[in-house]
Amino acid sequence: MSLLDDPRRALSGLSRPESWVLGVSAAFALFLLAALLTGALGPTYFLFLVGLAGMYALLSFGLNAQWGFTGLINFSVAAFFGIGAYGSALMTADSSPIAGGFNPLVGLVVALVAAFVLALLIGIPTLRLRADYLAIASLGLAEVVRLIVLNERWLTNGSAGLRGIPSFFQGWPVLSTFPEAMPGLRLVVIPGTPILLETSFWRASLNVLLVLAFAGAAFLVLRRAHRSPWGRVLRTIRSDEDLARALGKNTYSFKMQSFVLGSLIMALAGVFYTHLNLYVGPGDLDPITTFYAWVAVILGGSGSNRGALFGGIVIVTIREGTRFLNDVALPIDPAPLRLLLIGVVIVAVMRYRPQGILPPQRELIWPSAVDGGGTPETPDSGVREQKGGGGDE
Amino acid sequence: MTVLGYLANGLVFSSIIVLGSIGLSLVYSIADFANFAHGDTMTVGAYAALVTFGAVGGLGGAVLGLPYGFFLALVVGIAVAAVVAVGTEKLVYEPLDVDSIGLLITSIGIAFIYRAVIQIRFGSDFTRFGIQPLRPIESLVPYGVRVTLHDVAIVGSAVVLVAGLHVLLQYTDLGRKMRAMADNPDLARVSGIRTKRVKLWTWVIGAGLAGAGGVFLGLFNQLSPRMGFNLLLVIFAAVILGGIGSVYGAMAGGFLIGMINQLTPFFSGVVEALPIWPGWLATLLENLISIEYANAIAFVIMVAVLLVRPNGIAGEGAT
Repeated sequence: MSLLDDPRRALSGLSRPESWVLGVSAAFALFLLAALLTGALGPTYFLFLVGLAGMYALLSFGLNAQWGFTGLINFSVAAFFGIGAYGSALMTADSSPIAGGFNPLVGLVVALVAAFVLALLIGIPTLRLRADYLAIASLGLAEVVRLIVLNERWLTNGSAGLRGIPSFFQGWPVLSTFPEAMPGLRLVVIPGTPILLETSFWRASLNVLLVLAFAGAAFLVLRRAHRSPWGRVLRTIRSDEDLARALGKNTYSFKMQSFVLGSLIMALAGVFYTHLNLYVGPGDLDPITTFYAWVAVILGGSGSNRGALFGGIVIVTIREGTRFLNDVALPIDPAPLRLLLIGVVIVAVMRYRPQGILPPQRELIWPSAVDGGGTPETPDSGVREQKGGGGDE
Repeated sequence: MTVLGYLANGLVFSSIIVLGSIGLSLVYSIADFANFAHGDTMTVGAYAALVTFGAVGGLGGAVLGLPYGFFLALVVGIAVAAVVAVGTEKLVYEPLDVDSIGLLITSIGIAFIYRAVIQIRFGSDFTRFGIQPLRPIESLVPYGVRVTLHDVAIVGSAVVLVAGLHVLLQYTDLGRKMRAMADNPDLARVSGIRTKRVKLWTWVIGAGLAGAGGVFLGLFNQLSPRMGFNLLLVIFAAVILGGIGSVYGAMAGGFLIGMINQLTPFFSGVVEALPIWPGWLATLLENLISIEYANAIAFVIMVAVLLVRPNGIAGEGAT
């Protein structure tokens, strides 16, 4: 990364919001580090939070592929998240009413296939609709999915939910026994408050590795897709669908592709959630999950993947910070406080910064194509060549 | 219960949906965005009435099993919902520099703020107005109709409010201006209509009706901070079925959706009785048409209408 090559120049090249975000993130990281070292924040819980942040980042990536790239107002994020979670839980859990006991990898595949089918089922009728109709219709269909999960007891165990879900790495050669095999560590940073790293810590760190792998893969795929000719068509659709159609693009097909891509990433977040939380219930399909993802995306900046990552971290901070506040300072029920903060964030962003805090700027351009001070190099795979050889348009 | 009984229940529920859907449709056509905070405006009205009723008490006499104080509370609920909506328009929506999609997203934030404030103040539990539940009207029970005097009051008040709106829209200056603005805002502005003022009045009327709907919903069921949000999609279904922007369409759509919602158990009885072949189809239909899926049926109708007839049953241009 350029930050490592030349830190000073990279820092001075940041825009104001970028340096602001960097500063706040650094301060927040220091705060978390201090909390970890003093023992105020348990390391296992911290890793759980990191996993949760990664999960919201994944959800936001998925939504970004739909809203940020193509401008699809998808209010059925919770349905895809839920189908991913239920797909893998039904395959792997002991209490699963239909199958159960399969390897988590089978659950992953089943979840993705189920999400693919659901994306087609929701997308085929709704993607032809005007933007605001799409919002209402997708929210309605997500509620239909939630009601089915809640009521079809033979399939989903109804409101009791699914328990007895194994960790994702169960049945893998080394990783399945890794947490038990690791020795319990005892770190003493500040005398008197030792930090214990035991089996649960190692299990949580495996989860973090998993979400990093998922999110990293999704990030790379999306970044590549966004800059590709395919991504350019999507951006054209977002800004002017008639123009895209006039250029001979089958916009419905492109919208469907981006809808399916985003839905699969959301389902991936659901699969991860299943193995993080080890319990899945119909409450996980509540529309609030959809709006968490939306807040993350519009706060971060629609179309910006690093913005989505930032938004995901903010969401977890709001979610868990309200719980913390309730324990420490304010005796307010965390649930409505969370709702209030989410609402205020939405209104404030739309009021003062509708493009989001980190709107996509340079991330849409090949890095080699940016004037880097010296003589501009000829891009080895620049825009022109791509246009000529873009076979997938 | 008999068909008549379900129809009577449907009529009561429809009245509430109609009150909600008119406001949503008005705001959709004049402020030009899908207001996701509309359901929570209903909640605001309901809780304002709850507080008022708790403060003033019964005030002596009663009409239709409802103490006078309740009607005062109803008026306060309507007024508070209208004031809150106008305040939101002035403070939040008007200064915004975003398109209708941006307004839609903002309205979700507003909905959360309304609901959160109510939940912080009143907790998330169900409550009721402190009014004795009545027994069904004796003379109607032999026909299988189990409605209380309260239900009659709900339907009656809704009819009065809807008739008042009709008179307002058709015979007053403001109504004509509102119809002109719904038709073509630019043209209305050019012809000298103060569109900002008309927009404010739209919020007053839409939110006021929503507040009334919320109070009646609280009387019909219970009050909870989620009551409005849970009903929002059903109201959207009604508005879309009726045709967005058409007030009379919204009335018809609200009536139909409310009826379908309450008639679901009757339909499931019909499906069981019908000789449907093959057998798996019969089982599937029996499973899907059940009381648990009453809302889901409304949502599916909504999507179907959007696909087949996006202008709704009232068609294009009818206001």
